[in-house]
Amino acid sequence: MSPADLATTSDTLAWLAVLSYVVAATLFGLDFAYRLRWLGVAGLTVTVAGLAANIGAAVTRGLAVGRVPWGNMYEFSIIVGIVTVSGFLIWVARRPEIRPLGVFVLLPAVLAMALGGLVFRVPAGPLVPALNSRWIVIHVAAAITGSSVLCLAAVFSILYLVKERFERRQRPPAPPLVAGAAQTADRVEVDQAVARHATIWDRMPSADTLDHLAYRTAAFGFPIWTFAIIAGAIWAQAAWGRYWGWDPKETWSFISWTVFAAYLHARATAGWRGRRAAWLAIIGLATLLFNFYAVNTVIVGLHSYGG
Amino acid sequence: MAVELRPPAARPDRPPRRPGLGDTLRQAWREYRSMRTALVLLVVLAAASILGSLFPQEGLSPQRVDQYFTDHPALAPVLERLGMFDVFGSAWYMAIYLALLGALVACLVPRTRALVRVLRSRPPRGGDLARYRTRASFQTPAAPDQAMAAARRVLRRNRFRLASHEGELAGEKGFLREAASMLFHVSLLVLLIGLAYGKGYGYRGQAAIVEGETWANARVGYDSFSPGRFFGPERLAPFQLRLDDFTNSFYPNNTPREFASQVTALDLDGRKLQSQRVAPNRPMTVDGVRVFQSDYGYVPVVRVQGKDGKDLVAAQEVLTLRDPASEWSTGAVRVTRASPQVGLELTMFTGLETAPNCPGGAPFCNDPRLVRPVLVVLAYQGDLQANRAQSVFTLDRSRLELLGDRPLLLGPGQSRKLANGMVVSFTGLKQYSVFTLARDPGVPVVAAAAGLLLLGLVPSLYVTRRRVWVRAAPDGAGGTRVELAGLALQGKAAFEGELARLAQQVQRGTLDPPDRSP
Repeated sequence: MSPADLATTSDTLAWLAVLSYVVAATLFGLDFAYRLRWLGVAGLTVTVAGLAANIGAAVTRGLAVGRVPWGNMYEFSIIVGIVTVSGFLIWVARRPEIRPLGVFVLLPAVLAMALGGLVFRVPAGPLVPALNSRWIVIHVAAAITGSSVLCLAAVFSILYLVKERFERRQRPPAPPLVAGAAQTADRVEVDQAVARHATIWDRMPSADTLDHLAYRTAAFGFPIWTFAIIAGAIWAQAAWGRYWGWDPKETWSFISWTVFAAYLHARATAGWRGRRAAWLAIIGLATLLFNFYAVNTVIVGLHSYGG
Repeated sequence: MAVELRPPAARPDRPPRRPGLGDTLRQAWREYRSMRTALVLLVVLAAASILGSLFPQEGLSPQRVDQYFTDHPALAPVLERLGMFDVFGSAWYMAIYLALLGALVACLVPRTRALVRVLRSRPPRGGDLARYRTRASFQTPAAPDQAMAAARRVLRRNRFRLASHEGELAGEKGFLREAASMLFHVSLLVLLIGLAYGKGYGYRGQAAIVEGETWANARVGYDSFSPGRFFGPERLAPFQLRLDDFTNSFYPNNTPREFASQVTALDLDGRKLQSQRVAPNRPMTVDGVRVFQSDYGYVPVVRVQGKDGKDLVAAQEVLTLRDPASEWSTGAVRVTRASPQVGLELTMFTGLETAPNCPGGAPFCNDPRLVRPVLVVLAYQGDLQANRAQSVFTLDRSRLELLGDRPLLLGPGQSRKLANGMVVSFTGLKQYSVFTLARDPGVPVVAAAAGLLLLGLVPSLYVTRRRVWVRAAPDGAGGTRVELAGLALQGKAAFEGELARLAQQVQRGTLDPPDRSP
């Protein structure tokens, strides 16, 4: 195939991936709302197919341009999809019970990819000389992985806040049906009755679980983000002669780093645990999104490549 | 940060002491080194950094700061006084991060002491094991002391530090978490010290060298020079750079592909030190100074003759300013010996194209590749005001008037006559290359600190601290009942399973005589 054919194939595959993720998110959503297991399993299948298309899109794009396929915002968005979705699938393989949360993982991925495809799409092309370095492989890959994982942590923090609010309102939880449940002979019937009266929020993992999930995710993403910044500094030293220059992109990655550092500290501080910490993660998410969308397009700096 | 213990309540038989200044200060100090303070300072630091990206910064883009002054004449001076155009060098920004560093040191000292104390002491007794939430127990036919020996082997294999108390084995592990966390925080401190050291004793500058010319590393040779606070010009390394050749290329769609300089470094006597191709991402290091490719431009060679044929300007190399978007360059020639004085505004096209070949119906455009160089000359006469400071790339036209009614177009080697009879010739074309030269003696310190920081970060988040106690007693039926209890400071969810696995291993160990496995 010629580079032009490869680029066209890549675009088609990227849209196929987005489409599959939308379908999968709908299926997970139905699984989540109505406890329809088979829909969830179907959702997993569609997700895997979408991931295959997503990876295919990245590979064909890479072949079309003859370099790593993360040189601009559009390509970055495609990789964000791969990282987020494959991370989620690995997790589901280990803990199947979080499967219904797939809707909250897939929707941000879809949003990022659709925005990339609609707003930031650029034709397949080579890189400007400043980006011709092997560090683009390491630095940008780490930045994509780190920021995707940290965004996911913030998504879990949002879910935690919602669920925590719900749990607070529920207290004291005394639905009469549950009280005697252990003694009732026909337990299934009782469960069904509970399920009928339960809302979606009942089915979500407990606030504690979500909080823990958010923390684990942030603790995984933070070292990767730290590494991305250090790798960026090494590259900047080689390319521009200084490892740190308060370029807007550097400044904002430092801001995100500081906010997530504050989040990790907050988790161990009395009075900050729980809701306040969750808000810090959400502020962290806002800084990451600002760094990617606003700094690349609005603010002039050395990193204004892909807008 | 240190776990804070509340001071013991005053004993009722002693009258309560009124809190003095010392208590207030102690309280303030305790507050300062608490995690809460660090947390608030982190958030404040993040918020302050945002300001630095919202306003143009002096160190990053001075032109944009000037533009801001023009656009907002009332607001800009106020912002400048607040340090908004140099946020990261401002006193208040420094105050925030110094306060944060102070809090960091204040909390690291007691933490270090606490860690040393814990490492020196033996794992403590467990007391009443029934009060621990995580427990496991099993029966084994082995004797109690055999069971304890098995427990000792298992815990040691699982890398617990052990202490034998009477009838009890206490194990502790996971100090790596605290040690790694301290390594992380100390590295952060060292990194900032290295950064400050490098900034104070290093420098950065830019220099332009024309093809074939040799440039000496001296303060006067730099177009811009920003030394650190403690950097003296006598510390400039003694060497020269010669630009042997410069090349640049473009992709078919006219976006830049590559630009590179062949550079030879010489000592002051002209002996060759080294030679290298310097390109973006491929700097050269000479005598501790890093030389980076940063920009380039064109140098048309221009000759101006008077009516009588005598040289007014003999083969001058005119440095021009390249516009990276269009790739055309602008420059100026000042003929001060003519009277009235004559100024030439030059626009150099690398490949001049006209109407039908240009996109968007533009009357003319430029091919960035050096295919058809054309020099467009616009002449002025009057007073050049050459003794006033002004940009070398432009003319100050306030006391000049246009000479002739149309610009002259010159190809290489061509000459044209101006309206006043003078002759302008485009005799040659060279390129120049702009280099950033930088010395930062802090880089090794910063690099090592960054590495250690990363090394400390992962265990500080993932190593979990555990305490385990084992007791064995006869169960009254000829066998032994072994009890395990434990305490997890982190990762509590997984601990239940961990302790159960430990219990299983010990049980297997009691059934498996130790002399079989040496």
